[in-house]
Amino acid sequence: MTTNLWSLKSGDRCEILGYDHALDDKYRIRLMEFGFHPGESVSCLHALAFGAPKVYRVSNTVYSLDDEVASHVLVRITP
Amino acid sequence: MSKVLLMGSPNSGKSLLFNRLTGLHHKVANFPGITVDVSTGRLQHLPDRELIDFPGTYSLQAISADERVAVDYFERSLRDPDVSHVLCVIDATRLEKSLYFTLQVIRECTRHHKPVTVLANMIDVLDSHKLSLDVAQLAVAVQAPVLPVSARSGKGLEAVVTALQGERSLSAPGTTESLEPASDERLRITAHQLAQRFGASGDVLIRNQTRLDGIFLHSFTGGVAFFFIMYLLFQSIFTWAAPLMDAVETVLSTVADWVIPMIGNQTARDFTADALFGGIGAFLVFVPQIFILTFVIGLLEDSGYMARAALICHKPLRLFGLTGKSFIPMLSGVACAIPAIYAARAIDSPRKRLLTYMAIPLMPCSARLPVYTLLIAAFIPATTALGGLVGWQGLAMFAIYFFGMFCGLLVTALVSRTSKDHYNDLPFVLELPPYRLPSLKPLLRTCWNRSKHFVTKAGKIIFAVTVGVWILGYFPNFGADLGTSWLGYLGHVIEPLFAPLGLDWRYGVAILSSFLAREVFVGTLGTIFGIESADEQMAPLVEHIHNSGMTLGSGIALLVFFAIALQCVSTLAILAKESGSRALAVKMFAGYFLFAYAAALLAYQLTSALT
Repeated sequence: MTTNLWSLKSGDRCEILGYDHALDDKYRIRLMEFGFHPGESVSCLHALAFGAPKVYRVSNTVYSLDDEVASHVLVRITP
Repeated sequence: MSKVLLMGSPNSGKSLLFNRLTGLHHKVANFPGITVDVSTGRLQHLPDRELIDFPGTYSLQAISADERVAVDYFERSLRDPDVSHVLCVIDATRLEKSLYFTLQVIRECTRHHKPVTVLANMIDVLDSHKLSLDVAQLAVAVQAPVLPVSARSGKGLEAVVTALQGERSLSAPGTTESLEPASDERLRITAHQLAQRFGASGDVLIRNQTRLDGIFLHSFTGGVAFFFIMYLLFQSIFTWAAPLMDAVETVLSTVADWVIPMIGNQTARDFTADALFGGIGAFLVFVPQIFILTFVIGLLEDSGYMARAALICHKPLRLFGLTGKSFIPMLSGVACAIPAIYAARAIDSPRKRLLTYMAIPLMPCSARLPVYTLLIAAFIPATTALGGLVGWQGLAMFAIYFFGMFCGLLVTALVSRTSKDHYNDLPFVLELPPYRLPSLKPLLRTCWNRSKHFVTKAGKIIFAVTVGVWILGYFPNFGADLGTSWLGYLGHVIEPLFAPLGLDWRYGVAILSSFLAREVFVGTLGTIFGIESADEQMAPLVEHIHNSGMTLGSGIALLVFFAIALQCVSTLAILAKESGSRALAVKMFAGYFLFAYAAALLAYQLTSALT
């Protein structure tokens, strides 16, 4: 099922499918520089309370993304 | 002297490596127009080479004005014939975040025929987890020599010196395909493939980080840790800096007491006592605060906690156009705006940094406290309500503190919604670096450099303004009467401006002189009313203010005025230096004066109508 990165809960894993068109190109490029490539496996390490940015792991690097960015990253939740 | 560029992405350990290679003997300069330090220093073992610490960046594809300046500087450097070598640092434990930038650097160096060497840093971390990096194969893949190093332990640094001595070129390893014509898109794909091939896999490298994040980002323990750490930060600039600030004042007054009696001429003596020592003291007293705050913030940054704190604060501050990284500068602003403006360097988005600059002067800094104390003592009854639970004066103090913070957030919310400067904004994608023990020596060096920057750059402006105000207050009657001095004359000239607030020329003079520092308002009023040491004993001054016919409306108007107005030459000086824009400082001064005046007028009218 296609969803977005922001919808992941703590402990969820997913595969990146792409980005939606609403995401600015420069933000898409920066995300790819950070390793958020289509096909890459990402896991959500922490989903904090009150809508705070969530914490994601890509390979051995950990990033925090807020909903303005993460909601534009299209993903497929994996087991 | 030939130059060596040191490149690398943020959190790759580049600065620590720079300190290792130069032995901390370096100087720091600011990039023109942006708040990024560029350190340069001679290589310890090759003193004929100058190492330039290029600002950490994730890519040569700039997406903000700050990044554009840094990337342009790199491109200019590659055309500089004096640049003999480029060193590019990657984090060997997290290749996926460093390799794209590294490939871009190698491509540009190839294009400009500059030798480049890749330094795979943190090799000691891999060793400690019994992991390894195949540097020989990686070198073949990236078409540049790759040296395993550890900035922390110093391992592998001799090989770096040897590489620089031999000017090893990037053509050394066998190559498969030239990087030169590769597009950024192609490099991104290559970097991704190389990271998967060479990068360490498994959870071992981030196990500790995940465990500690489980505490520091937990809804309860994370909140407790955050408040405790922020409490310590606040204590450091308010309480711990106080004895050092007192010591600075004591030393200056001791020297003044020794020097001044030796001066025969009365005017020269007054100038030395009030303008020279007063002027120097006006900015030297901030140095301990700047040093301590830089140290504490450095500890938070180097340990990895700063990124977690920014994450925790981001959501509420985003409502006001700010970022989580704005929190610490704004909190510091409650003590003093000057170290707070320095603290805003940690904000990578130029737009968010500008908005934070706008909020900081409205935080209720400690210099406002004597003014608030005087005016509240003069106009708010020292009585209590609810059986002694609520004191009106305490409530008034809380209200005026909260009012300043509210105005700061109101300004940033309005500006962020009305001025869309998309180019200077950056998405909230924050790298959470591993937790590490900070290295004290480089940190102390940074604190020293920051303090020196303040004294040498902002100090000149503060001193010049102090001397200017002293001349206005001293002549033409040689300090006999402030009321008949040029400053007093100016007070009379601007009296019509403050008359709608119910304030006469005396308050105009006090407001003018408080441009040096807000607390000077109290001392100046004391001088005008002929009271000795009014800033220490306020009761007689409160009496005189009552007898001067000043109304409650005027008192509240003054409180509101001081809560908003940017009445501080030191803040303006450091704002101009840090932002690289004098125009910004002037605009903020004028804008906050108009805002303060309008709000004070409204407060006066409302209070007068109700009383």
